[in-house]
Formats: sequence, C-alpha cells, structure tokens
Amino acid sequence: MIQLKSMLNCIDNSGAAIVECAKVMKMKRAAKIGDRIIVVVQKQRNFGPESGPGASVSTSAANKVRRGDIRHAVVVRTKKKLQRPDGSVVKFDDNACVLINKAGEPIGTRLNGVVGTELRKMKWSKILSLAPMHL
Amino acid sequence: MAPIIPTVRPLSCWKSILRQARLQKTATRSLTTYYKPKPIDATPTVKRKIKVIESPPSFRAVWKEPIKEVTKTQIALLDPTGARTNLFSKSNPEAAHVGDILLVRLKTGDPFAGVCINIRRRGVDSGILLRNELTRVGVEMWFKIYSPNVEGIEVVQRREKRARRARLTYLRKPKHDMGSVQNIVLAYQRSRGALRGNVGAKDELKGGKRKVKGKGKR
Repeated sequence: MIQLKSMLNCIDNSGAAIVECAKVMKMKRAAKIGDRIIVVVQKQRNFGPESGPGASVSTSAANKVRRGDIRHAVVVRTKKKLQRPDGSVVKFDDNACVLINKAGEPIGTRLNGVVGTELRKMKWSKILSLAPMHL
Repeated sequence: MAPIIPTVRPLSCWKSILRQARLQKTATRSLTTYYKPKPIDATPTVKRKIKVIESPPSFRAVWKEPIKEVTKTQIALLDPTGARTNLFSKSNPEAAHVGDILLVRLKTGDPFAGVCINIRRRGVDSGILLRNELTRVGVEMWFKIYSPNVEGIEVVQRREKRARRARLTYLRKPKHDMGSVQNIVLAYQRSRGALRGNVGAKDELKGGKRKVKGKGKR
C-alpha cells in the first residue's frame, strides 16, 4: 500500500536510494506492485568503497538523479500481501520501486533485488528483464 | 313519548329528561340483542376440497453435514492419492510441521522453498505460509496445498526440535530470522538428483537458474 508520503527503497542504479511517494497515478487508492507513482528523491546512493570524501563529485556525476528530484517510478515490491489469481499470496519485507522516465523506460541500467511477477501483467517487461529474479 | 312536565326547578327537569333517554337507550339495546343470526352450518354450500401439497423431505435428515461432504469430494478430486492430505494431517507422525523447510514445486513457474511459519487448516482451502530470503529481501508466500497449480510439496529439512508455537511469526523479527535457506535447499536438491540419477538436477531452484542465465548473456 503505497500512498502519499510512503518511503520506498529504490533498487536501480539511477542514484536514488530512498524516495518518497508524492502521487499515485491514475488511481484514487493505494498503489501496489506494477502501479506507477510520482516520487521525490530523498536520499542519494553513494556507491560503495570508491565514494570517499574526495569522490563525492564523481559519484554525483554518475548519479542520474539528485536529491529533491521529482521522478516517475514503478512499484516492484510491497509489504502488503498481494493475492494472485491462483490463490497464492506474496509479501515482501520492504517497499521498493524503480525509477522510470515519462515514456516508461527505466532510468537505471541494472536492478538489484527480487521484483514481483505482476509487472508482466502490467506490461513492465523491460523492468522484469533487468531484474535478477522475479517472483 | 310522554310530554315533559314543566317544573319549577331546572335541575329536576334535567333529571326526568335523562331518565327518559336512558330508558329509550335500554329499549333499543334490548331490541338489537334480540336478533338471532343464522347458524353457520345451516346451509352447507358446495363443499370444496383444498389440495394440500406435502412438504418435500427435509435435507437435514438425509444430508447431515453438507459442507463436510463437499469438502470431502473436492479433496478427493484434487488429491486423489491422498498424499497431500497425509503430508499435513495431524495424525501422521511423518507430517510436515511448522518450522520445517518446505519446497513447493509449481506447474507454472519455478519452485519456491522456505521455512513454513504457518499452516492454515481449512479443508480444501488449506494453505501454508513459507518464508525465505531472496537477494537479501525477505519474501513470504502463501500456497494452497490442494491447488492444481502446486505440483508437489517436499520436506527439505525438518526442525530438530518441535516448535512450541502454532505460528512462528516471530521468525520475521531480525533476532530470529533464519535468513536465506537457499543453500540448504540446493544441497537437498543435489542429493536428490544424485539419488535419482540426475533427474532432480533439471528442476533447479529459481535463484541459481536465473543467475546462470544472466551470466551467459553478459
């Protein structure tokens, strides 16, 4: 259940680490896996060991998004249980999303982490193909 | 009626009037009570026989517990061998319990393995809740044990000590979390594959399979 002010993990390499939901698009209810939302980047990701105090400039250059940016995103994991048509239910331990541009293509080039299979139903096959695993 | 006698005192005049009125009233009343109605069964008209339809036999008598019967037929349909029922029956000492690591093979999609943290016994709607960690993210899935989509359920590893709770929801807490059980499951599958003669190697777990594919691409 992603709604206004929900904080999500961003699991792509676009440079955002934690984003906040600002709007659920085309719906008047909470977003679930596969739904498109608008987010505000709250925390940037600094990449691993090379990002020391001196490497801050280079990391910000590598990051495609900055703190405070407003972007579109797709929810890929939710803490809320999601029931499938066959009666099975899937529930993840966190809320996560992937940033996309307005055309619907992912901003990042790789994803780390499992994503829900509902993305296929919602025609997000590009994200599915980037993901290391889907469930 | 008798003419009213004029009197000196108005009150007495009233008295006589009232008395007369009362008399009149009683007279009419007596007249009405005199009327005798005809007896009801005096003239029997055409006697009609009303058709009475018997109520159908009660289902309660012939079919004591319909829900139970339906459940039984459904289970017989979905689990003809009775293996699934046996795996989760309380009377079976070999049954799967909460805390065991179970592997659910699906007809569509890859198998899912995880620690069983809840068994919900509801006849045909019985389900199990499995928890695992995939790519460092905790994942929980409910599966219906009689679902036609579920090909088989295997016990990978049993809990060494019987759990003293019916639902191990505390396994979600970081203190008790078992983490990924992928290694145990992979070892189990390898041993099964060796026993069967490399049959089990075909249906490998999801994580490994996908990773290999990804490596091949890049």
